[in-house]
Amino acid sequence: MTPSARLQTAVARGYTRVTASALGPRQSAVVRIGFSFTWLLFLVREWPHRRELYGPDAPWNWDMAARLIDGNRAFSALMWSDSTVWFEIVYALAIVSSALLLVGWRTRTMSVLFMIGVLSLQNRSIFVGDGGDNLIHLMSMYLVLTRCGQVWSLDARRAARGGADRAWPPRDTTGIVLWAVTGTALLWAQLFTDARLYLTADGPLPGLGWGTVLWGLWLVHAGWWFVRRYAPGEPRIVMDALAKVAHNGALLVIMAEVCLLYASAGWYKIQGSRWQDGTALYYPLHLDYFSPWPWLADIVASSGTLVMVLTYGTVIVQVAFPFTLLNRRAKNAMLVLLMLEHLGIAVLLGLPFFSLAVVAADAVFLPTNVLRWAEARLGRARDRLAARSVWLPGQRARESDEVSPDGTLVR
Amino acid sequence: MADTEPEPAGREPTGPEPQQGEPAGPKPTGPEPGESEPAEPTAPAPDGDAAEPLTTLSLPAQLIIAVAIAVAAVAAAIHLSAAFLNVSPPNTLTKRHGAAIDDYVYPEFERVWKLFAPNPLQQNIAVQARAQIRTPEGGTATTGWRDLSAQDGADIRHNPLPSHTQQNELRRGWEFYVGSHDAKERPQGMRGNLSEQYVRRIVALRLGREEDGGTVERIQVRSATTPVAPPPWSDEKIDTKTFYRTLPWWTVTSADLPEAKRP
Repeated sequence: MTPSARLQTAVARGYTRVTASALGPRQSAVVRIGFSFTWLLFLVREWPHRRELYGPDAPWNWDMAARLIDGNRAFSALMWSDSTVWFEIVYALAIVSSALLLVGWRTRTMSVLFMIGVLSLQNRSIFVGDGGDNLIHLMSMYLVLTRCGQVWSLDARRAARGGADRAWPPRDTTGIVLWAVTGTALLWAQLFTDARLYLTADGPLPGLGWGTVLWGLWLVHAGWWFVRRYAPGEPRIVMDALAKVAHNGALLVIMAEVCLLYASAGWYKIQGSRWQDGTALYYPLHLDYFSPWPWLADIVASSGTLVMVLTYGTVIVQVAFPFTLLNRRAKNAMLVLLMLEHLGIAVLLGLPFFSLAVVAADAVFLPTNVLRWAEARLGRARDRLAARSVWLPGQRARESDEVSPDGTLVR
Repeated sequence: MADTEPEPAGREPTGPEPQQGEPAGPKPTGPEPGESEPAEPTAPAPDGDAAEPLTTLSLPAQLIIAVAIAVAAVAAAIHLSAAFLNVSPPNTLTKRHGAAIDDYVYPEFERVWKLFAPNPLQQNIAVQARAQIRTPEGGTATTGWRDLSAQDGADIRHNPLPSHTQQNELRRGWEFYVGSHDAKERPQGMRGNLSEQYVRRIVALRLGREEDGGTVERIQVRSATTPVAPPPWSDEKIDTKTFYRTLPWWTVTSADLPEAKRP
């Protein structure tokens, strides 16, 4: 084959790949489940402190937040009104949307609401967040562009039950109601609040306003419903291909961001004297804010060799990770090490939510065969459960849907 | 928004018993290679219409898809370049295009990923506060210093899920203050003023209205920085004496307290 012919083949193959399928269905599902679970757990854990963190009792009060946001133009639905009732509604919606995204009910709508919840709470009080919050912040926006509910979701179950043999897609009353409700809410925000939902200003990206983003997504949802039902031919194929292109692009960005995270964390450490002399790990273990288990920290810190090995190991793994993607086995080994390290950080430094978020991001690189294996195992476990409790088979099944992902993550 | 979960049916191998809530089939059915990278496609022949070769589409349809791919590729390239320059050290490009990069990255795409880098924090920074109170008899008195960070530390100890109120509120609030004040405690711009108000309100929240039996009228904040001693196996010698940074007295009013705690 001549080089130009080979190039042509490659381009054609690439074109087919990015338009014909939404790649990494299980990986994107794990990322969805990981981040929604992390955020849900966080919101539930902070329930007693919610008013102090983001609400009316916050030392960072509403007026201060308004002054800061006036400058940086960040998005927060909490700034649409300073009433306590509104705050409680937003917090409750953040919890509900996380839970529904976790189980994959109306995934594409819930991912938008999830993003709104994350940005609203975090941008309301940016000074109570940490690196884990920052990662959730980024990923909540990327997830909106992915088809993260293709597997391991109630959506997938409904699709499998419903329409395999049905030529005509259902009218989908639930979807229409959801669409009308969200549209009404958006219209209310647009007309009756100070929400800065502009077309081109004050948005997530230069030249792209939140008005364009949210109304655009809303219209795309309607468009998709319409072409599925009334234009099943070419328009539907085109829209489907566009969604796949968006998914694949977003997935690429997610993967690249994880590489960037480790690269920046690792390369900056190389320059630090403590990482060079092999004592870096010793110090965080002796910080009052990061030592929930002093006796455990003492055990780890008691051996100079262990501290040195862990210190060097951390830097080596972080720097090496992006390059190991070129080799599947090396990548998987690194992935295991990174996940173990973050589990260690979760306990040792008392940063469970940060660690969960990082592990959820790492999960985008989990190999498909491992995910299939987990799927099969959990499927069998679920079947056993369902067999044991014949009275509530549907409910049991749903429980195992929810439980399975964390099992995959923690393992 | 209407449900637009795009996969209509049968796209994924869904296993033998979908009516039992199969999330996805236990048996892989597609001819997909067993060991595939994350970027591996799903089953190569998913459902009918989407699997149709896109080359059979009309020219406008093909054009739309081609343009979309180009837009997605360019957008991803721009986004990742901005992400890279956001975390990279200052360099030729960030100096030349700093404003454009900031415009792109802030407020929603900021990355704070220099975890424990280049060096981990090597000192315990405790924020302490004392109050000037009006005693019930009508006199004034000054309380002793209360270590608010030690309180956080005690709350974090043996806590598997520390709250952001314990781990981040005061710690990051103080960082915010330090980052927006000069050595003479002069605030730098609006952020300086906000950080002052923030720290004052955090302290007021923790002290409450009453301290040592009197009504709090003014508060004073100081930070106590104590270097962590080098490990026992190290021959390094450093001074682990505590260094104090004491701020001027601040008047607190009931407006500095959350409504629930006001008289």
